[in-house]
Amino acid sequence: MKNNDNLNAALAAATCALLGSAVAAPVAAQEESSGWSFDSTLLYYGESDDRVRDISAAVAAQRDFGDERKFSATLTADTLTGASASGAIALDRPQTFTSPSGRAVYTTAAGAVPLDDTFLDTRFALNASWTQPLARLYTVSAGVGFSTEYDYTHLGANLSLARDFNKRNTTLSAGVAWSQDDVDPVGGRPIPLAQMLDVGNDSNKRNGGESKDVLDLLLGFTQVLNRTTVLRVNYSYSDSSGYLNDPYKLLSVVDPLTGDTLARVPIGQGPDGVYLFESRPDARTKQSLYAEVKHAFGTPVMHFAYRYMTDDWGIDSHTGEVRLRWPLGDGYIEPQLRYYTQSAADFYRASLVNGAALPRYASADFRLGDFDATTVGVKYGHGTTGGNEWSIRAEYYQQTGSVPQEQIIGNQARREQYPDLSAVIVQFGYRFRL
Amino acid sequence: MKKLPFCLVLLGLAGCAGVQPWERDVLARPEMSLDNAPLEAAIDDHIYFSKEASSGGRGFGGGGCGCN
Repeated sequence: MKNNDNLNAALAAATCALLGSAVAAPVAAQEESSGWSFDSTLLYYGESDDRVRDISAAVAAQRDFGDERKFSATLTADTLTGASASGAIALDRPQTFTSPSGRAVYTTAAGAVPLDDTFLDTRFALNASWTQPLARLYTVSAGVGFSTEYDYTHLGANLSLARDFNKRNTTLSAGVAWSQDDVDPVGGRPIPLAQMLDVGNDSNKRNGGESKDVLDLLLGFTQVLNRTTVLRVNYSYSDSSGYLNDPYKLLSVVDPLTGDTLARVPIGQGPDGVYLFESRPDARTKQSLYAEVKHAFGTPVMHFAYRYMTDDWGIDSHTGEVRLRWPLGDGYIEPQLRYYTQSAADFYRASLVNGAALPRYASADFRLGDFDATTVGVKYGHGTTGGNEWSIRAEYYQQTGSVPQEQIIGNQARREQYPDLSAVIVQFGYRFRL
Repeated sequence: MKKLPFCLVLLGLAGCAGVQPWERDVLARPEMSLDNAPLEAAIDDHIYFSKEASSGGRGFGGGGCGCN
């Protein structure tokens, strides 16, 4: 019986191969084309020092209607809590800030990089797509996406067309995606570079939401190099326009000699220093080149990917990723390693100097700074007798950044300016069929 | 004439693409698919999108999140 199953699987694999899908669907899909298959996951993401914590659940359902026609939908729910860096610099004294809602204050300890601990959100996302052959050698895919959180709504659509060449050893594809996101910040939209004011004074903010449009273009090339190696190269172009600020990020205004934040006396409750809201350009163009190779040497499979990204904000980044899937009993073990490095945006400023001309754009968001990040992880996957698979993945993510030396003033040199970030990621997955 | 360079590229690729349909036993394995773990890839993209200034590459730019 076991041999028959193997034979069936081999025949199905051969059928699949004759149909020539270079990126082959799971063999079993050929046998149970009328059924649904599911991929579900539960994720824990936790940063050190009580910073951001995310618990996320997602389920992806796919139905194969035969003849390479497929429907898939993914539902995701995220719960975010914790604190995130506000952009203000550390001082030798405690610092008090008005919370984003404008109705309360929060205080951070002396010597600590200020974190805004009012961070709390729940996000739901739904994506759906349909793929089918359009003509011989052509495949078309169309999708829509929607997500919502307390202060943010996203609506997107995408369309891709692929054509196979060379006995389906080569695939060229082109895709376009468009999205419109609406941002409606808690407590209103801060006027860029306006000063943080006392509780109850919202003259530095505007009511209502703003939107952001993103247009993505993707050109893809997939090539079977030999019986055990496949290569993919993508070029992508992304154009964002509209409201690109982070409404909760600040910059400290500092004394040109001491480097300490200027003191301010609040009337009632309010900030005890001078802090301005950040200002980013209202357009951004990103381009990236991505290359990925998969190679099987016997049963083990190696995956290698590299991405170069550059944008007109002055950020360049390099990302490298290696995964090695090694068979182990009824399952496999897969060590994973990722390295990322980026340069700072042209308008990244650790702080603003009192008395100097105010730049048009400025942000102290660490994510726009100069940093490296490493992820080390391992995944274990195990096939069940029913043909399902469960997996567990554990990863450790570490970011190390720095503020440019010429931006460090006076007392700032002896304080932490760019805190390291580390996070633990644990993911449990289960794939099954109905 | 415009099509000539394009045809030459395809011809060149045909040279290295000697894999026949009946030789796809290894390539047909699920783990050899370039998109064999789409949910895991989406989660990774979401995490890195919210912590880094780059996104996309493998697919569309990601996003749809107020986290960046």
